Amino acid sequence: MISDTPVNQYSINAYQVSLEPVSDEHQTLLREWRNSPAVREHMLSQSFISEEQQLAWYKQTRIDPKQLHWVVGYRDKLIGSTNVKSLETGVPVTKARLLEPGLYIGEPRYQGNIVAFAPTLAMYDYCFEQLNAECFRALVKATNTAALHYNQKLGYRQVGTAQQGVLCTLELTYDDYVQSTQQIKQFLSRQRTTKRG
Amino acid sequence: MDNQQKLIDAFTQALGIEANAVTDELTYNTIPQWDSTAHMVLVAELENTFDVMLDTDDIIDMSSVAQAKLILQKYDVNFGQ
Repeated sequence: MISDTPVNQYSINAYQVSLEPVSDEHQTLLREWRNSPAVREHMLSQSFISEEQQLAWYKQTRIDPKQLHWVVGYRDKLIGSTNVKSLETGVPVTKARLLEPGLYIGEPRYQGNIVAFAPTLAMYDYCFEQLNAECFRALVKATNTAALHYNQKLGYRQVGTAQQGVLCTLELTYDDYVQSTQQIKQFLSRQRTTKRG
Repeated sequence: MDNQQKLIDAFTQALGIEANAVTDELTYNTIPQWDSTAHMVLVAELENTFDVMLDTDDIIDMSSVAQAKLILQKYDVNFGQ
């Protein structure tokens, strides 16, 4: 199941951030972020990514309909990367009901910041409302309390564990997502109407 | 009650911390009580206390008590400095 052309043609703008499909020009920055200690420590695979591995990853993912990858822009600067993968065999992201999300904020200034919710909200809205998604499933390290809290805030519920408790399995339905994200969406959707200093 | 005291009360209520912990140097994400979830509670508390509605950029930029004061001053909330 491979496409002849790049699969991600979707640009998304919402909640003050932009999601642009990952392209050739982003590879150096993505690799730099991915290899930074702050990002690497929370990855399931913590191995160092070589330039060759990065380009091989990009070459493969850009034509794989089972995954879509974006870079995240905020205030005219790239701050991180987000992605979504189909968890259904042989079903592309655009048709799958069960999806797995991914996100990291590479720009240190915004790591742990509330703005880290924005790319997720933008992507989830798109997948739930424009594509075919019914449920997101995430695997999070049990030690990564920041990510567990982050996902709980989005409405995820823990449904199990994996790898002898090393990983938590979380799931998110559309109804739980809508219920849980009203306040944060409201905070991240405001117009710039007040006077500024 | 002056605005400084109102600010301290808002932080203690929202973050569940002692008043003496609310200093200008207190910074977002440096204590477990001030994570991204608590940050939203804090913003709501500050908005209610001072009857303002913050811009999204200001919500994102409010990274310390000192920064909160600077931002609130843009909304005509003065701290007597």
